[in-house]
Amino acid sequence: MDVLVTVALVVTIALFFDFTNGFHDTANAMATSVATGALKPKVAVTISAVLNLVGAFLSTEVAKTISQGIIREGEGGIEITPSMIFAGLVGAVLWNLATWYFGLPSSSTHALFGGLIGAAIIGAGINSVDFGVVLSKVILPALISPLVAATVALVATYAAYRLTRQARARGSDRGFRHGQTVSASLVSLAHGTNDAQKTMGVITLTLIAAGYQPSGTAPQFWVVLACGLAIAIGTYVGGWRIMRTVGKRITDVQPAQGFAAETSSAATILISSHLGFALSTTQVTSGAVVGSGLGKRLATVHWGVVGRIASAWLFTLPAAAIVGGLSAWLAVTSTAGLVVVAVLAAGAAATLFVLARRHPITHENVNEVPEEAPQTAPAGR
Amino acid sequence: MNIESLRQAATDGQFLGVDWGAFVVVFLVSFASAVLIVAFYALGLRLLAVGSADDTGADGAVVSTASADRPLAATVGGYACLAIGVSAVLYSLYLIIPQFH
Repeated sequence: MDVLVTVALVVTIALFFDFTNGFHDTANAMATSVATGALKPKVAVTISAVLNLVGAFLSTEVAKTISQGIIREGEGGIEITPSMIFAGLVGAVLWNLATWYFGLPSSSTHALFGGLIGAAIIGAGINSVDFGVVLSKVILPALISPLVAATVALVATYAAYRLTRQARARGSDRGFRHGQTVSASLVSLAHGTNDAQKTMGVITLTLIAAGYQPSGTAPQFWVVLACGLAIAIGTYVGGWRIMRTVGKRITDVQPAQGFAAETSSAATILISSHLGFALSTTQVTSGAVVGSGLGKRLATVHWGVVGRIASAWLFTLPAAAIVGGLSAWLAVTSTAGLVVVAVLAAGAAATLFVLARRHPITHENVNEVPEEAPQTAPAGR
Repeated sequence: MNIESLRQAATDGQFLGVDWGAFVVVFLVSFASAVLIVAFYALGLRLLAVGSADDTGADGAVVSTASADRPLAATVGGYACLAIGVSAVLYSLYLIIPQFH
């Protein structure tokens, strides 16, 4: 009975994490397309949701270890229990919701790693975490990816404007919007093949640990379907708060910039994952938007907003780790402790949703930027 | 951190447990491909606009919607440039979809 409760709770929160993952990352692919008017907001999230769902089914290869070596699991290491996975997911979900409330794009993968690290430290001691791997797989890529993407997008944007007489040549705005739609769709598809898999891995590991599934087997069909649907629904509901930040508040993205930024993101993401140096989608796309702002003559980059995003990235891992650690501290004691954590987490999540309703940002007002930035009419409508 | 580990890093690209060589390759390939794709697409749009007046002014307002005749060479060149973008999209799909390889 206890095992069933634990597994049910882990599956529930894992799917909810998948939902917040989609919710958070809609902005990566679609914020610039929405900002430039290349796609109507609802159309953009629908395309992105469908591609995420397709992506979830395309991938056959599931990551063997969810933590990618950050936590010393398996032979000679520690045993990751379902309660620790649960606690880690609580940390990741709450961080994702908090950054969404403040409209900050931040990596869901880093939040998941952070939560799991915290839970592993509390559940199994500080030696269970390989900090060398944390440095090489999380911290350095987080510093590198925005710089790479920004440099690429800066030069691409400059070239795009230079070659089209500052986008004044006949038909160039329209052409850039079409191009942007295509490259943003590629980013969405690539996202679906990566991110839904992480949740599938988490759920499958839990089922194996609880003895419901033989070890070494592939995810069951219902797991693949549930994860694909959770990320797609999250994407469709859309993190409009984050989209406004990425599309309008970092810099007011114009069609040529949006095209250059999305193409740079798609190229960087595909090439890095193909060459085995996977970079975070969130960090690449945010960096590319900054680069596109720097590459256009007379465009303004709001460094205050960029600074807030960067500090959120800095805090992602430790903040999720603290919440994950606290949850693990309570959750590993007993099933009752686990249920208490679940109730507290649900309460915190509900509070953030209620707070967000006080200043709602929806598909209708996503392109309106209040006070500090000058108001510009949404292009193309 | 000593001289020996730095010397090691210079030869195999490994330093602090990070494969810097792979990172440099990622950067160079991403840079070259993204800039080339964007540049060719922009060049394609420009070639297709040959002969027509600009349709937007310096302030972003629409000033002209008229189209004019375009030399054949510009049409062919323009579509050739756009075709580079199309092939890049197809190659991306090949990379994304594991069933293809």
